[in-house]
Amino acid sequence: MIEKETTSTFNKSTGLPRKRFYRARAHSNPLSDSHFPVPLSPSQFDYSLHYPQLVPAASDDDNPKRIQFADIGCGFGGLLVALSTLFPDKLMIGMEIRDKVSEYVKERISALRTTNPGQYQNISVVRTNSMKYIPNYFEKGQLTKMFFLFPDPHFKEKNHRRRVISPHLLDEYAYTLAVGGIIYTITDVEELGEWMKGCLENHPMFEALMEEELENDLVVKLLTSATEEGQKVARNGGQTFQAVYRRIAPPL
Amino acid sequence: MGDAQMEEGDNTREIEVAPALIAVDPAQRSVAVAVGSDLRVYDLIGDCPVSLVDDSAKPFHSDSIRAIRYDASGKLFVSAGDDKLVKIWSTDSWFCISSVCCEKRVSAVAVSNDGLFVCFADKFGVVWVVSLKGDAENQALADKKAAPMLAHYCSIITSLEFSPDGRFIVSADRDYKIRVTVVPKNPLDGAHEIQTFCLGHSEYVSCLDFIHSPDYPHGLLISGSGDSTVRLWDVTLGSLLDTCEIGSKFDRRFTFFLKAELSATDGIEEDPCHAVTDLCTCPNGTSVALAVQSLKGIMLLNCNLSAKTLSMAKVVLVEGETLIPTSLGTSLSEGLPWRVTIIS
Repeated sequence: MIEKETTSTFNKSTGLPRKRFYRARAHSNPLSDSHFPVPLSPSQFDYSLHYPQLVPAASDDDNPKRIQFADIGCGFGGLLVALSTLFPDKLMIGMEIRDKVSEYVKERISALRTTNPGQYQNISVVRTNSMKYIPNYFEKGQLTKMFFLFPDPHFKEKNHRRRVISPHLLDEYAYTLAVGGIIYTITDVEELGEWMKGCLENHPMFEALMEEELENDLVVKLLTSATEEGQKVARNGGQTFQAVYRRIAPPL
Repeated sequence: MGDAQMEEGDNTREIEVAPALIAVDPAQRSVAVAVGSDLRVYDLIGDCPVSLVDDSAKPFHSDSIRAIRYDASGKLFVSAGDDKLVKIWSTDSWFCISSVCCEKRVSAVAVSNDGLFVCFADKFGVVWVVSLKGDAENQALADKKAAPMLAHYCSIITSLEFSPDGRFIVSADRDYKIRVTVVPKNPLDGAHEIQTFCLGHSEYVSCLDFIHSPDYPHGLLISGSGDSTVRLWDVTLGSLLDTCEIGSKFDRRFTFFLKAELSATDGIEEDPCHAVTDLCTCPNGTSVALAVQSLKGIMLLNCNLSAKTLSMAKVVLVEGETLIPTSLGTSLSEGLPWRVTIIS
């Protein structure tokens, strides 16, 4: 008896969740209060829930492991999965506001952990509005990498203030990144690319990476190739615009 | 949290009455009260009401005033609110020396300790700054242009305070957050360096004030919240030093004096709400006065600056009246808190 594979939300052979059961609109209104729990402060974030193997619950560690990489608007999790094996000793998290999509990433990570014992233990996802709650998750200077891949362009001028990269929000990202930490942004929308670059260029606590540094950074190549969005753009032969900046100490 | 309402612009207006506000001149020459759009100032020295003079394009306030305060020296007074105007007054002549137009309604104001900058927050969570440099007192000035200084993304900012040493500006919002930002050399270029966040409240933060004394000039931050607590913070580290649970301080003796809220649906009396609506620190550096929702009086807390603790001192009830304070101010000399009430 051949089982009807089409009704299962998981692919029987790979064990991975099937995207079509987690279809969601590209948009979610970040201003509407969708009731997801938010930690009151970074010390309240439950590491053992997200990284059970790497951060056991009852640990007396004086110097516990902390998340260092954050993918803001992680979508279906492509970048996290690629980064996981590249930096196996670093804890990473994806933040995604869409319910179904964050569910998909959760299932994907869970399935990968099952089919690859010992691997993918360092990545997780949380459903949240990163434009409001980043300080609730991360201490000052905690992150060493922040990713903003193909964010919502918010084309209308009146909606520009809703863009995830903006002069005011860069203050918060500068707070969250350690000095020397790197912010990676990429988009296929030229105007947005110029906007993001402009915001970063004008912010006193970010400076652009040199060409040489970009070439030597393993992660830069992943910006276009690792995510579903990036792969779609490549398939359609589209151009991408990236802005990669380093967090620096504020000028005196 | 009302974010959806903010998006609809001015079409959805709350029907509630704006709370009455009080501010006391640190130099004790006057007291100001705002009721709706009406601003009234009383001259304490001359023992008479003050006539305000405003010959700007939009004189006086045409809608509810949401924030009033004197600057540290008492030479300036600022008023702002729903008419999207921030008015700066000289307290010598009570002449409106400047009117700043804002795109959105204003929810909080603060003046830098040196009296050179006025900051105000709009309902989208942007804090703007306007410079008073080079302005001679008592002279009419062209309307000023404000520059955006920092923002709490899509949050209503309820309170703005400069630290006593002038190093930081603290902003609190309805999304439970308190942000401490370094005051830059030129605030008009933006305040980009966040010192820390003070996180821990589980409801909107309604009020902030610093408590300090000559022995402790940097002071400590005190915050009141809808979560019925008052918290003591170190603003350089963002660490929570002490929490005072207002709700649990009430025993049966006091509940008699609390006006219980009638449930809208079935008319059964619910437990009174202990949300902290306003607080002010007494300049002697040891007392904090609180206005608590449904309390017909004020609550006094003791703050120990060296031990960094907060403790309940007493409740001062207003007997025989059904008035609940909405705004508090202190006077320097007697150390006695003033209060303003609304008819409930």
